[in-house]
Amino acid sequence: MDGLDTAPLLTVEHVTKSFGGVQAMRDGSFDLNRGEVVAIVGGNGAGKSTLAKIVSGAHVPDSGRICIKGVEIPRADHSVSHMQACGIEVVYQDLALVPNMTAPYNLFLGRIPRKWGLFVDEKKMRKKTREVLKQLNVTTVQDLSQPISSMSGGQQQSIAIGRAIAWGSDIVILDEPTAALGPNETGEVERLVEDVRDQHGTSFILISHNLDQVRRLADRIIVTHHGVTSREFKRDEITSDRLVKAITLGE
Amino acid sequence: MSDTTTARPLLTPERVEKLRDYVPFIAIALVILMFWAISGDRFMSVRNWTFIAQQTPVLLLLAFAQLMIVTTGSIDISIGSSLAFSAFLGALGMLWFGDVGLILGVLAGGFVGMVNGCIISLLKIPSFVTTLAMLIIVRALVIIMSDGTSIYITSDSGASGGNISSVAAPWLLSMGKFPAIFILAAIVALLMWAFYEKTVFGQQLRAVGGNEKVLRLVGINVTTFKIKVFAAAGLMVGLAACVNLARAGAATPQAGMMMELDAIAAVALGGTPLTGGYGSVVKTIIGALTLTIVRNGLTIAGVPPSWSQVALGLLLIAAIAISLNRSKIDVVK
Ligand SMILES: Nc1ncnc2c1ncn2[C@@H]1O[C@H](COP(=O)(O)OP(=O)(O)O)[C@@H](O)[C@H]1O
Ligand SMILES: [Mg+2]
Repeated sequence: MDGLDTAPLLTVEHVTKSFGGVQAMRDGSFDLNRGEVVAIVGGNGAGKSTLAKIVSGAHVPDSGRICIKGVEIPRADHSVSHMQACGIEVVYQDLALVPNMTAPYNLFLGRIPRKWGLFVDEKKMRKKTREVLKQLNVTTVQDLSQPISSMSGGQQQSIAIGRAIAWGSDIVILDEPTAALGPNETGEVERLVEDVRDQHGTSFILISHNLDQVRRLADRIIVTHHGVTSREFKRDEITSDRLVKAITLGE
Repeated sequence: MSDTTTARPLLTPERVEKLRDYVPFIAIALVILMFWAISGDRFMSVRNWTFIAQQTPVLLLLAFAQLMIVTTGSIDISIGSSLAFSAFLGALGMLWFGDVGLILGVLAGGFVGMVNGCIISLLKIPSFVTTLAMLIIVRALVIIMSDGTSIYITSDSGASGGNISSVAAPWLLSMGKFPAIFILAAIVALLMWAFYEKTVFGQQLRAVGGNEKVLRLVGINVTTFKIKVFAAAGLMVGLAACVNLARAGAATPQAGMMMELDAIAAVALGGTPLTGGYGSVVKTIIGALTLTIVRNGLTIAGVPPSWSQVALGLLLIAAIAISLNRSKIDVVK
């Protein structure tokens, strides 16, 4: 019992994933504690997004295991819906929004509330969307009946992030959440991560190329190199030098 | 006065954008006014509008079937053959089991749709190719099954006694006439509107047309969903086949030929892009009506059928050219 109580919230052990001949993930291992922000850094094609998709349930790993609070997830349960039920949400690098649908629909994607078993409960969706937008401090989205493709990149990003934090999940994975944003919007996202962690004890996995941002937000930093999570740094032992060296050379 | 009008042009980009939404309504109004002007009372008579109300329902139901599929970004060109197959099985069903046997016609349509959906989703063969093959196969099956002969629906029960290829069903024949056929179409249209605009299933049609990959990523089973879509559309085709049986009074091996194209045209005239993601039941109704009215109006005006087809083709291109905002489309395939 004692062992389970002290086990990390999430443990990823030696996961691998190949696509045809490409070994996208060769050995992914890390763990995540409650209320922690762990950053994953690495060059392009190092396997960061693949690792995120394995944890989110979108990819089933070829081998290796994932444990939640010390309990292994059976192979058959590696699905998005099961990972969501375990409290894991993700904001994908390309946002994964449906462009012709409204903001409320995108927020509720995969969990549309029903009336009489058949109909869309639009009222509930709108109400929740307004709440989430308020929590995100987004005041620019007024018309909730517009398709999301008519919104700005920052607004779309808010909806994608809102989708991950709206359900009180324990773990939120952010895959390069600020890569396409300006400095102001980047600051907003960073503030949000800290707020949500402080208020709800949510843990974050932050994939980022922005080393300054990583040093501001992360408690620990995992370096991936050619599909291997090769090194780990604590917040106070990182210098930009060592980080850049680890990312480029894997040492 | 004149200052303000010159300062603000009548057609601002926003107004043009708004106007596009109304193209199907404007088109149908213009078409009606035009034929009224050309043929006067011969077009604008109760008798002719009763005829139009009888003529539209089969096309309308086929257009509804096509609308569901087109919204997901696929297409079904097998629905004409499926209509003949379904009508035939409906008539056979009535021969075998009496009046309730007509249900077999609806189910046959659903079956063809389900087969389409399975081939497309499970074997990952594009819908155009799959349904083209089914168009050929199903039509051939009808000809084989029927041996080239028709099954007739008759109004008097006496004559059909020994004749295997006719069924006495006066109620069905009266269903094919105004007002019954019109009321039936109105009820189906109402249900279709609620289904397409308000249900989770209806919204998911648009979402699949918008970005199927994203739905898979969030854990929605798009494969089974698409099979359901084709099956649902197929049931609608089956219903259209039964209505056609009532209207034509016979299940013929040639029934429904080229109707798939009419259905696609009606959907497109309703402003629905064939690339998927958007659509409207109300505008599809308008599209189907427009098609029927143009064909009817040209006939009354004495235009030979072949020239009518040319006119319909031109109308289709014009309607799409106006209603689609092509500046927003990067690639035209
Ligand atoms: N679905 C896929 N099919 C084929 N190859 C893929 C797929 N996803 C990722 N890859 C390949 O796996 C490698 C790692 O990709 P990715 O995880 O996206 O890297 P990163 O996010 O670190 O830039 C790349 O070489 C990429 O081309
Ligand atoms: Mg990536």
